[in-house]
Amino acid sequence: MTCSPKRQAVASRGPNSEHPTVNAGAATGLRLAGVQTLALTRRSVITEWRQLGNVIPGIVFPLLLAAVYTHQFTRAILLPGFPVVDSFLDFVLPASLVQSVSFGATEAGTELARDIENGFFDRLRASPCTRLPLLLGRLCGAVVVAAAKGILIIAIFLMFGTEIAGGPAAAVVLVTAAVLLVIAIGGLGQVLAILTGSQEAVNATFPLVFTSIFMSSAFFPTNLMSGWFREVAEANPVTWIIDPLRRLILEGWSWSDVGQALAVPLVISAVTVTMAVVALNRKLSSS
Amino acid sequence: MGGNTGARFGDDVVIEASGLERTFGEVVAVDGIDLAVTRGEVFGFLGPNGAGKSTTVRMLTTLLRPTGGTARIGGHDVEKSAADVRRIIGVALQDASIDPLMTGNELMRLQAVLHGISRSESRSRGAELLARVGLTGAAGRRVATYSGGMRRRLDLALSLVHEPSILFLDEPSAGLDPTSRLALWEEVRRLNSELGTTVFLTTQYLEEADELAGRIAIIDRGRLVREGSPEDLKSTVGSPTLRVDVDPVFLESARRVLVGFGPERPAREGRCAIGLDGGAARVAEVVRALDDAGVTVSHLELDAPSLDDVFAEATGRRLEGAEQ
Amino acid sequence: MVASAICGRGMRRIMARPILIMPVLLMPLIFVLSFTGAFVSLTRVEGYGTDNVFNWMAVYAAMQGAVFAGVGGASTTAEDIENGFFDRLLLTPGSRVPILVGTMAYSALRSTIPTTGVLLVSALGGLRLPGGPLALVTVYVATAGMASAFCLLGLAVVYRFRTMRSMILIQVCGFSSMFLSTGQVPIHFMNGWLHAVARVNPVTNVLRFARQGFLGDLTWTMTWPGLVALGAMVAVAGALAVHQLRRLTA
Repeated sequence: MTCSPKRQAVASRGPNSEHPTVNAGAATGLRLAGVQTLALTRRSVITEWRQLGNVIPGIVFPLLLAAVYTHQFTRAILLPGFPVVDSFLDFVLPASLVQSVSFGATEAGTELARDIENGFFDRLRASPCTRLPLLLGRLCGAVVVAAAKGILIIAIFLMFGTEIAGGPAAAVVLVTAAVLLVIAIGGLGQVLAILTGSQEAVNATFPLVFTSIFMSSAFFPTNLMSGWFREVAEANPVTWIIDPLRRLILEGWSWSDVGQALAVPLVISAVTVTMAVVALNRKLSSS
Repeated sequence: MGGNTGARFGDDVVIEASGLERTFGEVVAVDGIDLAVTRGEVFGFLGPNGAGKSTTVRMLTTLLRPTGGTARIGGHDVEKSAADVRRIIGVALQDASIDPLMTGNELMRLQAVLHGISRSESRSRGAELLARVGLTGAAGRRVATYSGGMRRRLDLALSLVHEPSILFLDEPSAGLDPTSRLALWEEVRRLNSELGTTVFLTTQYLEEADELAGRIAIIDRGRLVREGSPEDLKSTVGSPTLRVDVDPVFLESARRVLVGFGPERPAREGRCAIGLDGGAARVAEVVRALDDAGVTVSHLELDAPSLDDVFAEATGRRLEGAEQ
Repeated sequence: MVASAICGRGMRRIMARPILIMPVLLMPLIFVLSFTGAFVSLTRVEGYGTDNVFNWMAVYAAMQGAVFAGVGGASTTAEDIENGFFDRLLLTPGSRVPILVGTMAYSALRSTIPTTGVLLVSALGGLRLPGGPLALVTVYVATAGMASAFCLLGLAVVYRFRTMRSMILIQVCGFSSMFLSTGQVPIHFMNGWLHAVARVNPVTNVLRFARQGFLGDLTWTMTWPGLVALGAMVAVAGALAVHQLRRLTA
């Protein structure tokens, strides 16, 4: 039995029931949680697919920016200190990837806030859904969409002549790092959704994410910056992700770069998802 | 510009429409309406949800262009002289047209300025109108803090700031509590009797049309089905309505008996209704006939003809919101 | 009178809820700080036009802010349409065009907020005025013109689609028109399709007009194309908006 609110009236004894009164073959425990997560992931992906208009900007804008910068920085890439590249396009790939997935990253939180605002969350709560799938379902949905966008972005860059020195394995690392970043941002969005119950509050994080990408090594190397801005950029976790990814593209495979590129978003996502689970538990036990 | 009183037009007819029509793609919302409202009248436009009342009002107030037919307000064509029409009408629409971020005072002042009223005059007129609708205390607060009833009252006040000679009210008491509704009716009567304002009022509430309107047009599915004074309309129905509640098992038998006493009328489930020929005098006869047929009656009532009966006779359905 | 009432209403709304102005003010400040920080070494490239990155980027950020201000003005109308208040404005006696003019004036006034913010922050960062005080005049004229043009374009879209969601079209248009111009680098730095697009983009002429006082003296050669571009943008957008306003009741 999947965690479907439509079946709730049939399945549960009542709104406070934890255990569905269904046939003895029903899934329990971990298997149930997995099935529920899958169902909510599916819902999340379908919702996103139906709002394709929201996904398109996340693909078009980073590509437009990359195209514009490639054609306006042809002299800038010759500056002493700039990494050796044939074209700015090679330089900007990790930034475009990160920017693209950041466009939908807050969706997990916005969806949750929307569900809280319109009461659907209460319906899910009253169903036999355990708590973790409520969060993971949406995050997994965002992950699926982000992975699809990431693959598309890399494919387009390859079409336009970019070469990834680290090979296909490096491309996999690129997509994985982007996906982990989405979990990190999505988790933060979910924390806000649970604490405020407001879509507006969650959406306000997007400008923050957008700005933090600009204030990093995304579009220019930090060694060519100066003053307080350089310090901010070097301390920015986005830089710690983009720099090793860029080296994988320009210089070739390196386990230390792989480790850094994956470890940074992994740690951040572990923190934000934990915060979201704690916040959810607090909210559910207090109401 | 500025305010004007009722007696300004040479013709007696101040709102006229001929074959007025509005389609939205395939949907015909208003299907060829003819209207003539004379100066100083309170004219009621009665019909269920989706009948075309609001669409008609929007066309008459230049907010929507007709797709067929013509309409003139105060002698001005709604399409060719739309700007002139707007000078002489006041409008309070179904959804109160207000900005939640502004205060009542600010909205009154803005409305006055838009109608060319000087700042000093707008201040005094605004205060007077807000007092009349009972919003003096709330006038300095942002409209977002107002209740639904307060917003409607403010909307009415806004529609009166330039002392229009013709007032359009689109479902003015929808969502109002009974006290506020009575206060609104009082205000409409005062505007009409003291200032001679012509009022074009749309409503789905029978009592509102009955209480306020001197003449009523009943609209259903975009067409006018009946027109006349409330008394004339009710007299066309003739007989009072007899409503009989029976157990479902007796429904058919009851129906067979009752249709012998008059034409059947629409009724809710579990109930039979007829227009009782001969009136109250035949009630005893009906009861005996039902008893002879073995029908057990749980409830019986006899009502004088209502506008709902008029509507039911014209359309075969009851008005929404009317008791059945 | 109607136009000034509409314009005044807009300004009062900002004072009633100052949070409304935050995106319009904050984003340009973030742009000027990010672009001057990230791209500071562009000044070392031969032919950039200035050795002070603020002198190049400040005008770009201010104009981007003006575009946001213009779109914001149209968004107010979108909100009015969605909550029904626009019906009351449509019932204004006489012509409805002053409603449009008032909204445009409100956007132009609004644009002074991000422009002033950007200039102040840039001054702290070392902005210089080789062209003297007139340099400030050109910036304010350019930003008011851009805000007006994008407000009118936004109104054309809003009158047509009648929803807040339709504003995304204009936001994309505004953003793109700024990026596909000499916002961050001079035109001779560009190549390929970008060079071709930037050459015909009217925003490039407006930027040249607005920026001239920050790069050197003001000249008529740099001024008149910018004014013509601004005038043309406002005229075309205005015609579209008036046309859609007339069709609003159809």
